[in-house]
Amino acid sequence: MSEVDFLLGFPLPQEENVIGGPVGSRASTTFGRWSPSLVLPLLPYFIFVGLFLLVPTVVLFTKAFRPVTGATTSAMVEAMNASNRSSFMFSLKISFFSAVLGAIIGFLFALAASRIERPRRLRNLVTGFSGVAANLGGIPLAFAFIASLGAQGLFTRVLYHNGIDLYGAGFKIYDFWGIVVVYLYFQIPLMLLVMLPAIDGLRPTWREAAINIGASSSQYWRRVGLPILTPSLLGGTLLLFANAFSAYATAYALSSGGSRLVPVQIRFYLQGNTITGKGNLGYALAAWMVLILLFVMIGYLLLRRRAERWRAA
Amino acid sequence: MNKRRTTWEWPVIIVVGAFFIVPMLAMTRFAMQRVPMSLLGRKTIFSRWTIRGLMNTISDDKFQPAFFMSVRLGIVTVLLVLALLLPTVLWLHLRAMRWKILAEIVSLLAYVVPPIALVVGVSGAYRDTVPWIVSSNYGLVPLYAILCLPFAYRTLDVGFAALDLNTLVNASRSLGASWQQTFRKVLIPNLRTAILTTSFLAFAVVIGEFAISSLLLKRTLPTYMLEAQGREPQGAMGVALLLLVLTTVLFMALGRIQKKSPTSSSQEIRITP
Repeated sequence: MSEVDFLLGFPLPQEENVIGGPVGSRASTTFGRWSPSLVLPLLPYFIFVGLFLLVPTVVLFTKAFRPVTGATTSAMVEAMNASNRSSFMFSLKISFFSAVLGAIIGFLFALAASRIERPRRLRNLVTGFSGVAANLGGIPLAFAFIASLGAQGLFTRVLYHNGIDLYGAGFKIYDFWGIVVVYLYFQIPLMLLVMLPAIDGLRPTWREAAINIGASSSQYWRRVGLPILTPSLLGGTLLLFANAFSAYATAYALSSGGSRLVPVQIRFYLQGNTITGKGNLGYALAAWMVLILLFVMIGYLLLRRRAERWRAA
Repeated sequence: MNKRRTTWEWPVIIVVGAFFIVPMLAMTRFAMQRVPMSLLGRKTIFSRWTIRGLMNTISDDKFQPAFFMSVRLGIVTVLLVLALLLPTVLWLHLRAMRWKILAEIVSLLAYVVPPIALVVGVSGAYRDTVPWIVSSNYGLVPLYAILCLPFAYRTLDVGFAALDLNTLVNASRSLGASWQQTFRKVLIPNLRTAILTTSFLAFAVVIGEFAISSLLLKRTLPTYMLEAQGREPQGAMGVALLLLVLTTVLFMALGRIQKKSPTSSSQEIRITP
C-alpha cells in the first residue's frame, strides 16, 4: 500500500490553534523551564520513534556510506552507477508521469465535482469514494488491473473486439505506462481530496468582483483563479510524486517481482547480499530514496503553507 | 449574472468514474465467473457465476492463519498506537505546548522514510542485536505503528484541539476524579471520533500492508494472496475482492461516524455518567 497518501488521504475536521491555542498552559511558555516532570510523560513517544525510526535511518545511512565488498568508493556512489541509475530514472519517470497526469485529471475531476449542483449527493459520493480509493493500493489494486487491463483482461478484450489491440501495440500492464495507469487509480482521488478544499476556498465575491470590472470567465480563471490555486496544485503534484515514489506493493505484484523500480531493486540486493556481498548497495539505494523524498516533502510543506495564505480564518 | 452552464463537467465525471468502476467489475467477474475470457460474449455473460474459487481458497489451510495473523497484527497495532499517542498528545496539549512542533515533525518523518527503507534500516540495526524484531511475527507491530504515526498523530491532535481541555480536566479533577477516571470517563468519550478514525485507518493499513511483511518473509493476508495467485488465481482474486469490500465498509462506517461527530458540528461536550 502506498503510504504517503495518508497525509491527506482522508478528510479530517479543520485544524485550529495548532500552536499556542488557548489550551496551552503557563508552565510551558519558556523553553528554558523543562523540568523532568514536564518532559517525562513525553519520553515513551520520543523513545519509541527514536528506536524504530531514527536509529534505523541512521544505521541505513552509515551502511550506505561504507564501500561494497571489493570496492573503494562508498556504496552511495556505487548506487548511482549505470544500471542502478537507470532504475532510479525509471522510478522517477513513473512517479513524475503518474503525478502530473494524476494532478491534472484529479484537478479537473475536483472542479467538475464542485461545479455540479443538481444531484446534491454526487459530491458526497465522489469525496467518500475518493477517501477509499486514495487509500487503496497494494495487492488488491494490482489484481483488479490484471483482471481488467492484463493480457486477458476484460477491458483489453473489449478494446480488442472494437479493433484496438493494446498488447499488439506493445502495452504491458507491468511496464512503464501500465504502472502509470494503475497508479492513477489512487493518484486521482488523492488529488481530488487535496484540491476540493482549495477550490471551495475560492470565494464567489472574487469572481463577482472580476466580472464587475469587465473580466470574462476565462480571464477570471487565468488572472485570479489559477494563480490562487497554483501553490495547491504544485503542492498536490509533489505529494502525488512522493506517493508514487515510495509505492512498492502494486508494482511488485503487477510484475511478479521483476520490475525495475528502485524498491524492487533494493529487495533484490538485500536478499542476495550473502552471495554477492552487495548488501550495502541495498542500503545505499534506500538512502537515496530517503534523500529524494526529503526534498519532495519539504517542497510540499512549503507550498502548503503558501496555499493557506488565502484561506482566511 | 451569467448563467452557469454545465458542459464539460458531466463527461469528466463519467469518464473518470468509469475508470474507477471498470477494474472493480473486471475483478468481480474474474473472481466469480468460470468462463474463459475468449468465450465471454453476450450469450455467456450471465452463465457459470460461482463463488467456488473463493470458497476453495478460504478453506485452504494456509489462508486462515494468514488472515487471522493480519487481523491480530491490526488489532495489536491499533492498541499500541493509541497507547503511545493518547497520553502523549494529551500531555502536549495540556502542559507541554512548546514540544508540539518537535513531536509533530518527528511524526511526519515516517513519510520521508518509505516502508522499504524502514524495513531495510530496521533489519540492519537490529538483526544481530534484537533478532526478535526481524524473526517474530509480532516484530512487525512496531514497524506498522511507525507507518501509522503521521495520520494517527494528526487525527488525535485535531481531536484534542477541538476540546476545551483545561476546563474539562480541571473540572473533572476538582470534582475528585483521579487521572485514570478523567481519562476513561471524560476524555475518551469526547475523543471518540478521533480515536475511532485512528483505529480504522491503522487497521486498514495493517491488513493491506505488503512491503514490510513480504521483505521479512511473514505470512500475512497480502503475502498469502500474492502467493496463492499462482496456484488458484480465481480464489486469490476473490480474497482480494473480499479485502476491498471489507476496507470499503470500514471507510463508509468511518464517514458516517465522522458526520455525527461532535467536533465537526458543535462544541458540545459529552461526559458519560
